[in-house]
Amino acid sequence: MTETTGHRDDERGDWEPRIAAFLCNWCSYAGADLAGVSRIQYPPNVRVIRVPCSGRINPLFIVKALQSGMDGVLVSGCHPGDCHYISGNLYARRKFALMKSLLEYVGIEPDRVHFSWVSAAEGVRFAELLHTVVEAVREIGPATKMVKRIEAVP
Amino acid sequence: MSEVEDRLRQRVTELLDDGTVDLFIGYAEADAPLKTAVHVVRSTTDADALVWDARCAANLAALLPDLFRRPENAGNEWAPPRVGILAKGCVSRSIVGLIKAHQIPRDALHVVGVGCRGVVDRHHAARLVAPAQLAEAEFLEGDRLRLRATDGTERDVDLADVLLEGCLVCRHPNAVLSDESIGDPVPTSDRPRFADVESFAERPIDERWAAFREEVSRCIRCYACREACPNCYCTECFAEETAPRWIGVTTEPSDLMLFHLGRAFHQAGRCVDCGACVSACPQGIDLRLLTRKVNRDVEALFGGEVGVSLDRPEPLQQFEMTDDEGFLTEP
Amino acid sequence: MDARMLDKADLATVLERLAQTRRLIAPVEDRTGAAFASVDEVAAIRLDYRNTSLSAKEIVFPQTEPLLVFRDGAAEERIPAAPGAVLFGVRPCDARSLTMLDAVFRGGETEDPYYAARRDELTVVALTCNEPGPTCFCTSVGGSPDDGSGADVLATDLDDGLLLRAITDRGEVLLGELDAGRPAEDGEIEAARDLAARAAERMENVPVPTDAAALLATFDSDLWSDLAAGCIGCGACTYACPTCHCFDITDEQKRGTGHRVRSWDACTFPPFTLHGSGHNPRPTATARLRQRVLHKFSYCPENFGEAFCVGCGRCVVHCPSGIDIRRILARLDAVLTANSEAGGPTR
Repeated sequence: MTETTGHRDDERGDWEPRIAAFLCNWCSYAGADLAGVSRIQYPPNVRVIRVPCSGRINPLFIVKALQSGMDGVLVSGCHPGDCHYISGNLYARRKFALMKSLLEYVGIEPDRVHFSWVSAAEGVRFAELLHTVVEAVREIGPATKMVKRIEAVP
Repeated sequence: MSEVEDRLRQRVTELLDDGTVDLFIGYAEADAPLKTAVHVVRSTTDADALVWDARCAANLAALLPDLFRRPENAGNEWAPPRVGILAKGCVSRSIVGLIKAHQIPRDALHVVGVGCRGVVDRHHAARLVAPAQLAEAEFLEGDRLRLRATDGTERDVDLADVLLEGCLVCRHPNAVLSDESIGDPVPTSDRPRFADVESFAERPIDERWAAFREEVSRCIRCYACREACPNCYCTECFAEETAPRWIGVTTEPSDLMLFHLGRAFHQAGRCVDCGACVSACPQGIDLRLLTRKVNRDVEALFGGEVGVSLDRPEPLQQFEMTDDEGFLTEP
Repeated sequence: MDARMLDKADLATVLERLAQTRRLIAPVEDRTGAAFASVDEVAAIRLDYRNTSLSAKEIVFPQTEPLLVFRDGAAEERIPAAPGAVLFGVRPCDARSLTMLDAVFRGGETEDPYYAARRDELTVVALTCNEPGPTCFCTSVGGSPDDGSGADVLATDLDDGLLLRAITDRGEVLLGELDAGRPAEDGEIEAARDLAARAAERMENVPVPTDAAALLATFDSDLWSDLAAGCIGCGACTYACPTCHCFDITDEQKRGTGHRVRSWDACTFPPFTLHGSGHNPRPTATARLRQRVLHKFSYCPENFGEAFCVGCGRCVVHCPSGIDIRRILARLDAVLTANSEAGGPTR
């Protein structure tokens, strides 16, 4: 049991990936909601953080989530051209491309961080996306590389 | 004293005398090997201290935003000073960036452009004499440098072998924006621009992680890199914000990693690769490991070069409908 | 006190033996030139260094130090266990700085238990200087190339041998433990003193103002904005400095568990004195540089009886803007001298 995550215990083999999902209110969050009311099953591993727009997402949210011990991060917004605020996701697209590339460059596993566009009508697609993401993170195991460990400071 | 230095001192004296500038920012001698001091000339008697050579590592544009920031208790009579500045290529590109970011007014600046043949990497020189220290450095004919160490040893090196890595691939040694120039233009490098990024990217993931972690582990959070950088003009840096608190003030490894990832990312589309951060770092950390990657991605994905056009908006302040989506996950 | 002469050929063996019973901290080569490290491989030790890039203060005052752990509503102190370490080969300036840090962390009514734990069992072997470094000025601030303050043993490189002179009881204990070499001859001790004296002669003489009150009287002078003209507000000087000791305390917590942590801080940073209201009593680089210099050369002499500067010159090496404390001190000294001659207040 580590102090930072509170429930990771690999020796018992019951580790479940913990994914932080930043979903834009108008499209992706609504899509997730649709999956819910449609009773579509999707993995419970996701902790959703609702934001007004994917453009509001500070790339530091992603690294902060990894530092806090999340095993994976998903960021999802409206399809380009459909942003509720017209262009928020279009600015975000550039930021996300750069941040993903930079993290992979320094050796963070590519499957730790995921981006997608999911519309309010895509309940099924949202569930499928989550399956994909959770399994991808499960495959690479618990995140350890950027986890903050003050207790380990000598 | 070189011709360029002579001309520089003369021009600065004239600019102060005729009232074109209230102050001029350049470099002066410092009493430590391979160092120069940032020199703010306010009276003509101080102009003679100006120097210009391969020790001039600081990006002088870093001093500009504060000069134009209205002081807290300033009354209506406060007007921004007229500032003269010696600008090698990268400094002028930083100036372009600062103008676009509305941090400095173009019309209060008088930029004296100068061609730069590169800056000596003081850490590289230190490594050559380690564990002794550098006692003296002397420029020799034929672009050579004589290094005298505290253990009495002496070695002559080619300048090209000890320049900052960024200088070796520099495409803008001459000012891109200036009100006048001194000295002759310097030819640009034709070396491949991003060979370092490409070769690092080819290494296995575990090696890259180990290299990154090791590189930033030496950081002491002194923020010399940040303060030396003209782009870091924020009055409150994410690294020191407490609400929200992005990272701690500690040297715990993930705090160090997030600081450097965050700072490099914040440079996206703005870093001119002047190397002032590398020179400033007391630990000799290869900060360009990260900024170069971001620079390359910005160019590859969004096109354009940093700091050459006053009209083109910064890459992260614009978008194209055709922007790359290769980073997406499809269900 | 005991003085031994150790053949350089035997040094490695002696240190290896020492490393088996004590934690050995010594200079090793690193990317910046030289740095102190806990040494397992004695072969890595480099006594042929001039000085390290950063000071040795991290050994007794780590940059990041967890102080408490709190969990389930209870807090537990994390005082380090520091089994008798030996700091081997530090320069006399850095050894002397330990006495200044002692005054800060142990000199008042309350002793800092974290500092004390690391400092208490530390044996310091200072390697005297046979030549000054490019930015050294220890003799101008009350130090010297063979100053023994803060040291337990003085070691001197005498070409074929290393002279070891105990100067405290703890030093005697260490030499007893080492049980190496042979008793030193008077001629060898004389030679060591000569080397240090010659190094002192070759060192730059910096005029240092010593009148704390007169220095304070320069507070409103325009000269400070001149001196601070290039300062960019980083902490390179502070963090490289052996005697700077300011720190911040923060809490790192997550769901009811956490740590209270001490980290280095620098008065040169703009937010150092930033109030919650947004007001900053030191809003400019001028105010902050003035504070740094006056703290070291006026307030500390008043509070602790000596200037908090050992003349190592690291701040000069590292300042990205080329600000030079030696020039600042010379300028201040000139101003104070001129003013005292004129008989009036400083301008």
